[in-house]
Amino acid sequence: MNDYHGSAAGPSSGSGDGSAPRRNSKRPKYSKFTQQELPACKPILTPRWVISVLTLVGVVFVPIGVASLMASNNVVEIVDRYDAKCIPGNMSSDKVGYIQDDTIDKSCIRTLTVPKDMDQPIYVYYQLDNFYQNHRRYVKSRNDAQLRDSEQADKTSGCDPEKNARDGSPIVPCGLIAWSLFNDTYSFALSGKILTVNKKDISWKSDRDHKFGKDVFPRNFQNGTLKGGATLNPNIPLSDQEDLIVWMRTAALPTFRKLYGRIEQDLKANDTITVTLKNNYNTYSFNGKKKLVLSTSSWLGGKNDFIGIAYLTVGGLCFFLATAFTVVYLVKPRKLGDPSYLSWNRNPSGH
Amino acid sequence: MNGKGWDRVRTARLGGDGAAAGTTGIGSRRTGSVQLRQMSSQTVRLGRVQPQAPSHRTIYCNDRDANLMARFKVNSVSTTKYNVLTFLPKGLFEQFRRVANLYFLMISILSTTPISPVSPITNVIPLSLVLLVSLIKEAFEDWKRFQNDIAINSTPVDVLQGQNWETVPWRKLQVGDVVRIKQDGFFPADLLFLASTNPDGVCYIETSNLDGETNLKIRKALERTWDFLLPDKAAEFKGEIQCEQPNNSLYTFTGNLIIESQTLPLSPNQILLRGCSLRNTEYMVGAVVFTGHETKVMMNSMSVPSKRSTLERKLDKLILALFCGLFLMCLIGAIGSGVFIDRKYYYLGLFGNVEDQFNPSNRFVVTILTMFTLITLYSTIIPISLYVSIEMIKFIQCAQFINKDLHMYHVESDTPALARTSNLNEELGQVEYIFSDKTGTLTRNLMEFFKCSIGGEAYGTGITEIEKGQAERLGKKLDEVKRSDTAIHDKGFNFDDARIMRGAWRNERDPEICKEFFRCLAVCHTVLPEGDESPEKITYQAASPDESALVNAAKHFGFFFFRRTPTSVMVRESHVEKMGNIQDVSYDILNVLEFNSTRKRQSVVCRYPNGRLVLYCKGADTVIYERLGDTNQDIKRLTREHLEQFGSAGLRTLCLAYKELSMDVYEKWNEKFIQAKSSLRDREKKLDEVAEMIENDLILIGCTAIEDKLQEGVPACIETLSRAGIKIWVLTGDKMETAINIAYACNLINNDMKQFIITSETDAIREAEDKGDPVEIARVIKESVNHDLKRCLEEAQQYLHIAAQSLALVIDGKCLMYALDPNLRVNLLKLSLSCTSVVCCRVSPLQKAQVTSLVKKGARKITLSIGDGANDVSMIQAAHVGVGISGLEGMQAVMASDFAIAQFRFLTDLLLVHGRWSYTRLCKVITYFFYKNLTFTLTQFWFTFQTGFSGQRFYDDWFQSLYNVIFTALPVIILGLFDKDVSASLAKKYPELYKEGIKNVFFRWGVVAVWAFFAFYQSLIFFYFTTAASRNGHNSSGKIFGLWDVSTMAFTCVVVTVNLRLLMACNSITRWHSLSISGSILAWFVFIFIYSGVMTPHDRQENVFFVIYVLMSTFFFYLTLLLVPIVALLGDFLYLGVQRWFFPHNYQIVQEIHRDEVEGISRTEFLEIGNHLTPDEARSYAISQLPRETSKHTGFAFDSPGYESFFASQAGVLAPQKSWDVARRASMRTSKKTSPK
Repeated sequence: MNDYHGSAAGPSSGSGDGSAPRRNSKRPKYSKFTQQELPACKPILTPRWVISVLTLVGVVFVPIGVASLMASNNVVEIVDRYDAKCIPGNMSSDKVGYIQDDTIDKSCIRTLTVPKDMDQPIYVYYQLDNFYQNHRRYVKSRNDAQLRDSEQADKTSGCDPEKNARDGSPIVPCGLIAWSLFNDTYSFALSGKILTVNKKDISWKSDRDHKFGKDVFPRNFQNGTLKGGATLNPNIPLSDQEDLIVWMRTAALPTFRKLYGRIEQDLKANDTITVTLKNNYNTYSFNGKKKLVLSTSSWLGGKNDFIGIAYLTVGGLCFFLATAFTVVYLVKPRKLGDPSYLSWNRNPSGH
Repeated sequence: MNGKGWDRVRTARLGGDGAAAGTTGIGSRRTGSVQLRQMSSQTVRLGRVQPQAPSHRTIYCNDRDANLMARFKVNSVSTTKYNVLTFLPKGLFEQFRRVANLYFLMISILSTTPISPVSPITNVIPLSLVLLVSLIKEAFEDWKRFQNDIAINSTPVDVLQGQNWETVPWRKLQVGDVVRIKQDGFFPADLLFLASTNPDGVCYIETSNLDGETNLKIRKALERTWDFLLPDKAAEFKGEIQCEQPNNSLYTFTGNLIIESQTLPLSPNQILLRGCSLRNTEYMVGAVVFTGHETKVMMNSMSVPSKRSTLERKLDKLILALFCGLFLMCLIGAIGSGVFIDRKYYYLGLFGNVEDQFNPSNRFVVTILTMFTLITLYSTIIPISLYVSIEMIKFIQCAQFINKDLHMYHVESDTPALARTSNLNEELGQVEYIFSDKTGTLTRNLMEFFKCSIGGEAYGTGITEIEKGQAERLGKKLDEVKRSDTAIHDKGFNFDDARIMRGAWRNERDPEICKEFFRCLAVCHTVLPEGDESPEKITYQAASPDESALVNAAKHFGFFFFRRTPTSVMVRESHVEKMGNIQDVSYDILNVLEFNSTRKRQSVVCRYPNGRLVLYCKGADTVIYERLGDTNQDIKRLTREHLEQFGSAGLRTLCLAYKELSMDVYEKWNEKFIQAKSSLRDREKKLDEVAEMIENDLILIGCTAIEDKLQEGVPACIETLSRAGIKIWVLTGDKMETAINIAYACNLINNDMKQFIITSETDAIREAEDKGDPVEIARVIKESVNHDLKRCLEEAQQYLHIAAQSLALVIDGKCLMYALDPNLRVNLLKLSLSCTSVVCCRVSPLQKAQVTSLVKKGARKITLSIGDGANDVSMIQAAHVGVGISGLEGMQAVMASDFAIAQFRFLTDLLLVHGRWSYTRLCKVITYFFYKNLTFTLTQFWFTFQTGFSGQRFYDDWFQSLYNVIFTALPVIILGLFDKDVSASLAKKYPELYKEGIKNVFFRWGVVAVWAFFAFYQSLIFFYFTTAASRNGHNSSGKIFGLWDVSTMAFTCVVVTVNLRLLMACNSITRWHSLSISGSILAWFVFIFIYSGVMTPHDRQENVFFVIYVLMSTFFFYLTLLLVPIVALLGDFLYLGVQRWFFPHNYQIVQEIHRDEVEGISRTEFLEIGNHLTPDEARSYAISQLPRETSKHTGFAFDSPGYESFFASQAGVLAPQKSWDVARRASMRTSKKTSPK
């Protein structure tokens, strides 16, 4: 007996706890965690809650929607599709032949009328269609290290098939993205007076400062058998080639806009702008549209009704549902926690 | 020191596979033992070919050098699965046997090829994290096993070295060593018993670790070795043991001991097995025969067939469906890519040598390769972290919630609940059928001596609950007899009657017959006394608690049995000669005529000190009455009446009788007895016949009545469970009457039920049995069973259709044997499924398992078996969930079980609270996982349409790889741990809520479809809203977003929405919920701030550089972040609101009823009572449910299985292999087949 007691005390002294002889009991210690009694809030989605939440969403969404829609409506946007119209009538059956013929002058003149007053800055965009900048083969065909660092100019991994010039020296910037750089140009005139287009600061600053090196210069660019798009001035560092920087921030969808420049001058309603454009870029192969867009901007950005409409629709829907539910609630209320709703009370046989 | 050793070993056996560590460890040991078995069988086979291979081993005792040659195994055991070297390869191999892991390994390999749109990290990181967590868990569990092994292996033992006992750890023990084991010590290896401090070279052992039996067994050493006790003598012992090779048969041993060229045969009677402990013996000396893994217990180590929950199997189907979805998505994308690819997109550079994947001249190859591309891209649709999350959730549920639940802690036995496997938690929430053992599970196996009848006079003033109930129903008010101060309520004794207590029997009408009564109680038994020889401290070891209750009663009557030698019994008798006189009397026990189920009685021939020869007999009333002499018809009649009274009061009765023997009659008979005992063929039958010859012309003394106490809270628990839609079947080895009685008391059967009884106790069958032709018997029984089944089935259908009455079926083992026949099985199943309660009595352990699997496989219902003894093992293993009753003696059932609880009533908590919660939580976790991965992958899928089906990824590699493991990992685990639709007390108050689990309401295809629908809807919102909103210039700067800006925006919306959706799925929101959800969203922002803020020198595509800062500088970001999640969640919100409003689930109503209640459970409530009914309430409830008519049965005691073997081992007779042992083997074999893993 004594023997047993001695040994029973053994483990407890060994465990270093030494609190009480009850230590030997296997009784679990109480804690809110192990007994699953953590304090909790137990929300119940009552009809009242449903209606209140819906109303609240409506109350918040409708004003936001109105504000967004107003912002969007204040934006004046001129969109001009020119891909088809800039083809001379005789070439309209062979658009690809036209665009690939370097001997033909690609100049084209478009006239745009300003529908409303446009406050500066007026942004100039080009919009392409059916252009899969997000194609897997396209997206990965670049080398960021090469763009950033002049030391790593020969790093062209991933740039297939625009990797090396014919002599094997690396192309800077390499890859399909740079190779297919957009090369239509636009110049604007308002009643014969040239509107200057500011092409500075059209790319995100982080791209200019960090992704494109100040000492990286184009090399061997567009020297290949096929010319994809624009050429680059080999004397300007990449960080200053803003068109390239904008182009290389690949778009999410096959229809996309890219910023071309800014007109820093107010336009009046009914002003007529003459656009002289060089229609160089081949979208005819794949039936892509080309559009020129002039747009002002609001606090929200360019003309985009989507957010405003979405907010308004959802807010309105919520109001509608809230009202509908309220009617249902008033006509046929359900008593909360009515035991007669329990299935075994509804159907005594239990099946 | 002994105590310490005992403690350790016990923890080793108990906790060795503690908590969730269980399955795997046991699994490995199973394979181990299987291998060993194969090896041994191989050696046998080889032995035939090569005669030199030894078929036996030769051990030189006490001679380590001589044994060196044989290279026996060392005594250290290892139950670990891995060692340092094998851990990685073996552990990884185990992991990759899971399909999900293998799939991701393949995807990872695929993603290193140029085909893949994603970099390998996308898949490697989640996979390695998952593997890491799993391996850490494995290592942790193995480490615990290792620690356990070390503890066992370093238990000290005394070994003879030279002339002294030296203490060495167990692991240093070698075959042939001579060891000394002290009282209560465990045997470190299989030993040959040489000598003990007891006279006659016997020792007592307890084998509860082996077979769960707590009665002591006697082992006897060969006479030749009795002297080798003291170290100087033992040192002289130089024997040679030739014995069989190690094997796993616990009950056999063949071998010879050769001492000084004298060959002595050895039998199991001289073998002490590892795992047993020494009792009632100061110390013993033995020689080591088998060590370590070669010991019989290790070779026999039991396996738990690894079970998978039904929910997990359903989950497999869901995963399969996801695979199909994946395939479909890939197919659509792949065909699209084949159609799309064209040289006209000159900017894609598709001229010259183009890699196959984009080569427009071979569109078929493009399609095939894109298929692989898309598989890697959409791999996130398979939730890789699902399995590991579920595992973690279940592990914590087991280790922290089930094991530590104070509601399931039993104070009296100091036993908390124990979840031995962690993969069946949610199965507990879907159980529809419970198979319960009776003895020890429903009843306490605590027999209390309650009443008796001596010489036609009934004694005992107690009133049983059944009597109270009967009285209450009749409207009578029973005068509660006030207990006198003399009343004693001891363990096993609840009797009070001043007429015979404290020697008052001397004043009764016939004191002589009282004396015979008490002597019969004190002498005619096979109980072993243990402990101090004083009435207060002594404890009795008996095979059946009835026996010890009777001996205990004799003690209280003044006939204190205190010592047993192999030939005699010592009784301290009071008040015999005159009041207050105490004397020790020694009765020589000449013969013991054993109990068995055919004899239903037991007799002892004893000789008084004065030479008087008496045969005392006790047994069932039927058998005793047949053997009574013709005298004293009055006593017979009165006793018969008392028997019926006691029986109807729910008491277990035994008749007591005696017979005076003359010397010559006895001598003649004894010769025959010895002959029969030594006969080699049909020994038992012959013994029975001989016994029959002397057990006649008995004189009836009286009868005893013992109360079989129900476990606390059983009727209430059963009532709760049946309200929960669970059907409870009682499978018991007891007699039909006893079983029915208990079923009534437990509220399983009541008089409103239509009872069907199928029994073999019919005249036709008895007649056939008397003829003794086994073929004929079988035919008759089969026919009658067939007939009965058909009749019952017809009636049952009528009752169900017309009266809507609940039905009960009672069937006995013999009929069950035939009913389980493949031809009749269908009818049996149909009948039993339409019954609310089923009672199977007189069933063997194997039949218990058969009935369980009948329902499990035949009806495809989820079954649970609960039992406490070795005879329940097969049933426990056969059911979906096995529950063992722990805290009592015997580990067998617990070792085989998946969950161990101390009391039957804890099933309420285990099923209704833990099971239900686990089920609802896991359903939520699984469906949520499904939803979040589907949503995420579908956004990716929509993007594919916009990229010319090129398989361009929408998200950055790291976004995709961390989505599952960081940004959405924790909250769902928290949900899986803490979500609580209704509190524990409400879950028990409304047991009907459990039915939702039985019907699997929360994980139906419908539920999955709803989630899938909203995943579809949300993904559309995510993709099209963000892209549509981001089309034009932003801010007043007019700059345009690129692909990565849009995708980061979309990803932010996904992370926010998916986390908020989880919040909507919560029923209760604790601090942990809010912390983890806000933490996850925060983690994403912190990650993206850092990730997009830095440029690394490594070759990394700087896609997302500065993206988040650019985004956050625009109003677009904030407007979208408000719009998209709200629009996405609006659908779910409306669904939840409408569902709750118009089609509420039951639990939701309950939530509403109790919405204002604070769940304030004070700690005091936990103190003692875990049941919501007080014991008194439970009792009165049980009483009110008792049968209304009085039955005329007299349930007789001593009816527990395991009783027969007790005598067998007492007498040193080789015990036959027990049926449950066979059943267990059978189940092990089938388990091997069915689970080849």
